[in-house]
Amino acid sequence: MANYRVHVTIENKPGISDPEGKTILNDLVLKGTHQNVTRINTAKMLKFSISEHDKDAAQTKVQEICDELRIYNPMVSVVTIDVFDA
Amino acid sequence: MSLESHELEDLKTKIGREPTSTELQIVAAEWSEHCSYKSSKKHLKMLPMDGPLVINEKGYDSGVLDVGDGYVITAHIESHNHPSAVEPYGGAATGVGGVIRDILSAGTRPIALLDGLRFGDIEKDQHAKWLFKNAVTGIADYGNCLGIPTIGGEVEFDECYKNYAMVDVAAIGFGKKENLIKNHAKKGDLVVLLGGATGRDGIGGSQFASDSLETEDRSAVQIPDPFIEKLIIEAILEARNEQLIHAMKDLGGGGLSCAVSETADALDIGIEMDVEKVHTRESDMHSDEIMISESQERMLIVTDGEKLIKLRKICEKFRIECSVIGHVTFDNKMHVKKGETTIANISTDVVANATLLDLPSSKPIYLENIESPKQFPQLSDYSEILMKLLGSPNIASKIWVYGQYDHEVGIRTVTKPGYDASVLRLDNGKFLSIKIDGNPKQCYINPREGAIGCFEEACRNVVCTGAKPIGMLDHLQFGNPNDPEIFWTFLESLKGLTDFAKDFEIPCVGGKVSLYNETSDGPIKPTPVIGVIGLIDKKPLMIQKINSGDSLIMVGDTKDELGGSEYSEYIHKFIGGKCPAVDFSESKKNMNSVLDAIENELIKSAHDCSKGGLAIAISELCMINQIGCNVSLEKIPGEKLDSDKILFSESHSRYLLTIENKNLPKLEETMKKHNVSYSLIGEFTGNSICFTRDSKPIIDLSVDKAQNTWYNSLREMVLHA
Repeated sequence: MANYRVHVTIENKPGISDPEGKTILNDLVLKGTHQNVTRINTAKMLKFSISEHDKDAAQTKVQEICDELRIYNPMVSVVTIDVFDA
Repeated sequence: MSLESHELEDLKTKIGREPTSTELQIVAAEWSEHCSYKSSKKHLKMLPMDGPLVINEKGYDSGVLDVGDGYVITAHIESHNHPSAVEPYGGAATGVGGVIRDILSAGTRPIALLDGLRFGDIEKDQHAKWLFKNAVTGIADYGNCLGIPTIGGEVEFDECYKNYAMVDVAAIGFGKKENLIKNHAKKGDLVVLLGGATGRDGIGGSQFASDSLETEDRSAVQIPDPFIEKLIIEAILEARNEQLIHAMKDLGGGGLSCAVSETADALDIGIEMDVEKVHTRESDMHSDEIMISESQERMLIVTDGEKLIKLRKICEKFRIECSVIGHVTFDNKMHVKKGETTIANISTDVVANATLLDLPSSKPIYLENIESPKQFPQLSDYSEILMKLLGSPNIASKIWVYGQYDHEVGIRTVTKPGYDASVLRLDNGKFLSIKIDGNPKQCYINPREGAIGCFEEACRNVVCTGAKPIGMLDHLQFGNPNDPEIFWTFLESLKGLTDFAKDFEIPCVGGKVSLYNETSDGPIKPTPVIGVIGLIDKKPLMIQKINSGDSLIMVGDTKDELGGSEYSEYIHKFIGGKCPAVDFSESKKNMNSVLDAIENELIKSAHDCSKGGLAIAISELCMINQIGCNVSLEKIPGEKLDSDKILFSESHSRYLLTIENKNLPKLEETMKKHNVSYSLIGEFTGNSICFTRDSKPIIDLSVDKAQNTWYNSLREMVLHA
């Protein structure tokens, strides 16, 4: 068993609007001098530390936890799971 | 998610050719149950919709009532059941948004919201808990961001809503009569789409709402954006003040397809539009998607070229987008183009008026013996049962819910949530009282009496504030109407509501029908939700704190009506028994006597007896006022009954009045004048809720202990269990 850090990023599915991201873009970033920014998306990240046999097992386990506990709503959001060595 | 084969044939006959793909999409959206009311429309006409205060204008999405001195209020009710069942946060929030835009489209400012929420068994079911928690948060986040107070509502749990959510939202608007939008259009007028960009969210939502939830096709979720909604409200009201709006409609179910065809049909005009002019969120959207997208926070406005310049300035100021998507014609056609290419050209009359159905109905078999009475074992002490009921999900205080809503923003809220009905101050010195009520348990046992009961309960609630009912909103929620037994329950409920509305001269000013509410275990129980709007000309009953020595008067008879009661269902797990029925003449007398007592300032507070019966209603008075009481069951008006029936029967038309002893003679005079059944049943004193029968104690419960359970149990259930 080894320790892994697992980052879970939860964001709206593509095509679903993101009012918060749009507000940050329009009301903060574009009001400054950063006119080259074209898009901002907000997301929520959960950082897990988990001990598992290997990276794949860590990823699978965390995905299971997110699905089972409804950490995100699959109707609205997608999750991206990144695994790093601790 | 398309037309049925006979509907397709119908369409072909009506237009005399094969429809294009866009036409098919437009018609499928507009002919869905959600938009066309094809199953219910024929029957809804039975409801009385006119009255001395009702203002009818073509194309209004909300009811309008004249409240005098040049002011009007508008009212509407909507549901967002299907979307909330798959995404409770966004579904509930966008439900709030939709009904607000209906209020706005008449040209009035939304001033209050009410929510009726129903879920499965939250004591056992984790999913119901998840739905409940997120729906409440969605409503709170949306309403609070907009600065519109959520002033009341109701919450109920029943196993028939397993894995499902019923989210009903009612909204009230207020404005000057002269500012109402007089929906009209001239040739050459422009059609403008204002607000959020059109995206892929909510594609086909209205058809989705007209299907049962069994399929996994759940792309129809919508993302709420309350900040755009707020900007739209302010922009529209400014445009209204400058008289820039000829006609207006909000985009709800069916998106552009429905808004354009219904506007054209209501105003007897044609509209030619170009999908390429619609501002979209994504560049690669298909024209059919643009026509049926149900993206939120959008309004359709008809104006002219000169006014458009000013309208654009307002939009710029509020930084909301607006696009001219078409213009008014006089051929009564909905002509949709993509650039120069025509993709749909169809008579608005055909689109906006689906062929109405006359569905068969038959009395459900389950109703045969459901009202036969059942005798429950008699106990010598009901304290424990009362305690259990006070902590039950349907009776426990809903402070965990309304505590999350801002119910005071706008400083109109005179009586706040937690009492019978909330009261709003209007600018002309009058007051408005509003309440929504439903009772699926009783409606299941007797669809007619149950629906009347919801109506009367909402009336009782506003009467308890001193208001006279002036209008009603009905929201009829049932399962699949193609099942004759379900359709029968729909018709029975509707007939009951009609009879009551006619007898009491309370016009129906708005409503909604939501069908196909089915879960994996079958149809929901019949769930009509009735909103009643009451007007107070002088001043509302300002509730005073009860002191030791004050008396408790009960108006109205308690009957042997335990059917559908919390006592039967929660304590004894029994569905059946005699459903409470409203006696119209008794109901009217009792209402008038209570209004009379309030107007003459004889009483400290008035409270209606409903869910949980008399024992719960009296306990609520004690817990809110932190005082004990002594009540004698043998003094309760009505025939002699077993103690459990007196305590927990949910008979209608009953009121509890609290009064200082010095006003007792005057109150008796009033009660006698109205010839009502009433009695002095006890007094407030001590620290215990005490019920006795012939001097023998039946219930003895410490107020503190009861209060602790009643206030906290719902929160505990949601957050910790």
